[in-house]
Amino acid sequence: MIQTLRRVFLTLLFLSVSTSNTFAAEEKEGGSPLDVMGTVADHDYLKIPHFINGGKIYLPRLIFLEDAEGNTSFKAYLSTKSAAKSDYFEVVDEVLVATNGGKIAFDLSITSHLMYFWFGMILAVWFTIAMSRRYQKGVGKDVEPKGTLQNIFEVLFVFIRDDVARANIDDHKADKYVPYFFTMFMGIAFMNLFGLLPWAATATADLTVTATLALMTFVITQFSGTKDYWGHIFWFPGVPTWVRAILTPVEILGVFTKPFALAIRLFANMLSGKIMIIAILGLIFIFAELFGTVGAYGISVVSVTLTVVLYALKVFVGLLQAYIFTLLSAVFIGMAAEDHHHDEEEYHVEHVS
Amino acid sequence: MGLLAAGIGAGIVALGAGIGIGMIGKGATESIARQPEASGDIRGAMILTAAFIEGVALLGAVICILLALGIGQ
Repeated sequence: MIQTLRRVFLTLLFLSVSTSNTFAAEEKEGGSPLDVMGTVADHDYLKIPHFINGGKIYLPRLIFLEDAEGNTSFKAYLSTKSAAKSDYFEVVDEVLVATNGGKIAFDLSITSHLMYFWFGMILAVWFTIAMSRRYQKGVGKDVEPKGTLQNIFEVLFVFIRDDVARANIDDHKADKYVPYFFTMFMGIAFMNLFGLLPWAATATADLTVTATLALMTFVITQFSGTKDYWGHIFWFPGVPTWVRAILTPVEILGVFTKPFALAIRLFANMLSGKIMIIAILGLIFIFAELFGTVGAYGISVVSVTLTVVLYALKVFVGLLQAYIFTLLSAVFIGMAAEDHHHDEEEYHVEHVS
Repeated sequence: MGLLAAGIGAGIVALGAGIGIGMIGKGATESIARQPEASGDIRGAMILTAAFIEGVALLGAVICILLALGIGQ
């Protein structure tokens, strides 16, 4: 027990120390130490410890360029710098723009958030495949599951299958959605937790990432919709016709607001957590400006302690948001895939009683 | 002006979300006290509903951040 506590304390200490190091390093590079948006925004490089390669690994740029005559061509460079060296592009205010009257038609560049999206998904897939191999060998099927990883896997998987999929979707349909839910849960959880590592970025604190994830749920929801689901949208049963004139637009709107809220919820939660930590650590710099070094040291005790607590909270929130995203996906898909076994009279009785 | 709007907006967002989540908590604890054996189901429903409210509140919070940072002006 005491050993566990000590381990937790040391981990938290390490986290707090490494976080302050990150911010100190950022301050040294010049510019404002309170660069809130720079920390949460997407970049064309991966951050690494600043004593290796200047703290940055540049990522490839893949751009569809439309030149002055309107011809579109595909350009690929290893980094923004090498793109700027070519005849087609130059860097203005740290942003790559096309020269010679051309313009960037479509930017397919690999960015830091995309990299962490891939890291999260690769980890999730690797974890699941490694565990499924063990089950194929018979470990966990014929004998008890062995080792910490497999036990964690089994707890999580049974939880997703029973409490998320089977609880919200009709029993005979639930199992075919379990792989999707589990991939979603593990991927989002890994992406959220990546954001807690020093130098790493939170891919889910980017609206494009969460919107993509929500789009997948949206597509699956529409394709698993039964006749009854579409009937409830376009021709709501058991109400007068003039009510349908109001209900149908609302229901159609509801189809799109559900995944939209899904995307916004995950995005806003992860972003606000990140901004909160930056704001609290930023108090140190504000106090240093207002009251000098003594004030900064004084407030840093409070700030760092609070950040450690926030980090623990963010681990919880990261897992909770992954769970909520999966759960709501299951609820939406379950609502669409539900079989109704009643006619209109029964529908009335059900809802009045 | 944007800063003022963001401050007032953040306050109202916190007010609304606080009332909403408080009512959920009240309902959940009351029903758990009345029916302790159903606490698992109630907790699940509570988290789900709280997530809905949180989503709306955070949407407001994000707009406040955008206002405060002067994005979109």
